[in-house]
Amino acid sequence: MRLRRNFAVIGVVSALVAGVALVAPAQAASKDLVIGITLDIDKLDPQAATSFATVRALGLVYGSLVEVGPKLDIRPGLATSWSFNSAGTQLRLHIRRGVKFQDGTSFGPADVKASLQRILDPATKAAARANLLTIKTITVSGNDVILDLTVPNVPILAALDGVNMAMLSAKDIAAGTIGKTVNGTGPFSFVSWTPGQSVKLASNPTYWGHEPKLDTITFRVIPSESSILSALNAGTIQFSVITDPLIAKQVGKNLTKYATPSLAYIVLQLNARKAPLDNLNVRLAIQCAISRSEVVKTAQSGEGTVIGPITSPAYFSNPNDRPCPNADFAKAKQLLAAGGYPNGLTISTIVAPTQFATASAVAQSLKAQLAKAGITLNLEVVDDSTFISRWLAADFQTAIANNGGRIDPDTMYTRYFTSTGNLNKVAGYSSAKLDSLFAQGKATGNVAQRKAIYKSISEELENNAAWVWLFAPYEYRVASKHLTGFVPLATGSLLELRKADLN
Amino acid sequence: MQRVNALQRFIFSAVVVRISTIATTLFGISVFVFIVLRVIPGNTITGAFGIETGVLTPQQIAELRHYYGIDQSLLSQYFSWMGSFLTGHLGFSFSTGVSVLKLTESALPVTIELALIGTILGVIMGIAVGMFSASKPGSFRDFGGQLFGLLALAIPGFVLSTAIVTIMANIFHYFPNGLEYMTPWRDPWVNFQQMMFPGLVLGIAVAAPVMRTTRSALLETVDKDFVRTARGKGVIPRKVQMRHVLRNSLIPIVTMTGIQFGYLLGGAVIVEKIFALPGMGRQVLDAINKREYATVQSSVMIFAIMFVTINVLTDLVYRMIDPRIK
Repeated sequence: MRLRRNFAVIGVVSALVAGVALVAPAQAASKDLVIGITLDIDKLDPQAATSFATVRALGLVYGSLVEVGPKLDIRPGLATSWSFNSAGTQLRLHIRRGVKFQDGTSFGPADVKASLQRILDPATKAAARANLLTIKTITVSGNDVILDLTVPNVPILAALDGVNMAMLSAKDIAAGTIGKTVNGTGPFSFVSWTPGQSVKLASNPTYWGHEPKLDTITFRVIPSESSILSALNAGTIQFSVITDPLIAKQVGKNLTKYATPSLAYIVLQLNARKAPLDNLNVRLAIQCAISRSEVVKTAQSGEGTVIGPITSPAYFSNPNDRPCPNADFAKAKQLLAAGGYPNGLTISTIVAPTQFATASAVAQSLKAQLAKAGITLNLEVVDDSTFISRWLAADFQTAIANNGGRIDPDTMYTRYFTSTGNLNKVAGYSSAKLDSLFAQGKATGNVAQRKAIYKSISEELENNAAWVWLFAPYEYRVASKHLTGFVPLATGSLLELRKADLN
Repeated sequence: MQRVNALQRFIFSAVVVRISTIATTLFGISVFVFIVLRVIPGNTITGAFGIETGVLTPQQIAELRHYYGIDQSLLSQYFSWMGSFLTGHLGFSFSTGVSVLKLTESALPVTIELALIGTILGVIMGIAVGMFSASKPGSFRDFGGQLFGLLALAIPGFVLSTAIVTIMANIFHYFPNGLEYMTPWRDPWVNFQQMMFPGLVLGIAVAAPVMRTTRSALLETVDKDFVRTARGKGVIPRKVQMRHVLRNSLIPIVTMTGIQFGYLLGGAVIVEKIFALPGMGRQVLDAINKREYATVQSSVMIFAIMFVTINVLTDLVYRMIDPRIK
């Protein structure tokens, strides 16, 4: 009887081991990279892509005129070189020769013109249209494309990077097939999309750079980041982007973790057009009552960089350059009294736990700190779509937001803090001084001058406590040790997988 | 003859009442879901474009409202969707570019398979532990059985799922759900492995109420007159247990199982998320986040129809197992 029971146990264990062996991925022989993503892609039109998953997947299929490198330098992409006229009102781009689309047709200046015109066409609903609105005319001259601008706009060059600036085939645009079929100039070509499950790409042998070493890339939807980490540990996937610092902390030595400070930033947005936040002293009191390092320590387990307004490394704001670089509750109370609230006040904030992994923890940290200065912060926890809807309508006193960053502060903040910016209603603050400074920043290509201008902008924003900038989270790319040659980019793009290999 | 006609009329009216109740329930659900989706802030545009909605011009927003069909009156939107649902198309998913029917064709079998596995495992575990527990009330084995029931109720599914996934992946480097999802007809062995643990998690959730129901039903039945009579007639104990006690205790167990199966259809959302199963739960959750009205409405209606169907089936099973109804 005992012997029979032992046989049964051995049988069950053997079956389990056999199962493990059967489903274990054959890593050594394949060059097939599987990337775990929490959300599926949501469209196939690169110029209209907004979700991270779509931007990352289509970013490997489509090319742009310029590329942003690992050090946030602007490098040639489908344009090999460029030049501005002295006034900064004309940009001439020299287009790369010998490039082919994945359907075998040739890429040229006419495709560039058609692509840029498509972005500018309101019917496209292009995500980055606002960055090109200063383009007056697009002219093809030989192998060059000339952009004439309505006002001096040097930062437009950096805005030409990324999947939202994807270069499309003029033929496809005319045929109306964009978003239905996928035909780019990128290192990988599109194979298939099974909604809710996976997107498959294959190496593009006609890529203008070196042909990728990976044979295929599959983006597989695994909705939970902890399950993604499990899949990485089990070896069933080999790569992923993780945003939750608590999950990232669990990454073991069997995996490679790349932690890159992101350009995106976490901020407490103050709606300065709504009482009592229209009172400068109240806004400054809130700023003084918040220790950003404490937020990073308690909500992020120390994973993040304390920041000021500008996160772009070339123009990085000194985080200590503000009225209260560290929390000062006594000063906060003084400011509240000066603002007419000697007994403190109550404000509310909207927060969506789906905006970023630690949103609720950040909200709790802020609530606890503000309470020490006599400010009661009521948390309105909402879902993502509700958050966005109320955020866009500026239907909030304060909002805990995860806003995207750009490598150029002009494209990062013009839309928020100029009086005509299309997100100025959301920003809740503008001034004549800011309008003037942003216009100056646009007009000059001189780096030293631009640094001085954006330093002034940063000071203006901090001294008026337009918002309370908190920290820049890290973006974690976690990879199997078998993956080599990958270089992470702060923009979040996975383009450098074109050079990666699976050993 | 008159009695037969009266019986027919009675059955006919009972069927009519039942069908009209079901139709009213489904109609009510369809209206409720339709209204709730439109009352909550956000719409398909904010779901699709996120914060970038802020850079769209009023003209673009108007075009998008027309494209998504949300510029029509609420009545028109409702009847347009209902027409689509009743003709079997179920509407269109803008984010994936395919019909909701096509999405459901691949997602529904996953959820049904998962719920079936969960229910079967749950019923087996629940009845076994319930019988074990009721066999000697107040004893150590009863305590053990009740502890199992309490733990199964108390431990949330997401905790158990996460623990299983983490332990299996970190210690045994085993996480078959990280592989491409396989249908049972494409690769039954991988499918079995992908369904095994999520099925177990759901099974444990079902087992707890089934165990408690089984225990109390058995304890109640065991003292009934007909059981004493059977014993007095000299029927062997095992036969008394199976034929008289268990059979007569099955009615509340079947009711509980029917309710739990319906619950599993909705409750599988978290388990599907953690085990990366592309089922209906995930489909609904994604669609709610994207405010894809047709997908949410049609999916909820499918859940509701299944729930109602299961209730009817439960009633039918009663008739098979309850000698009094027979």
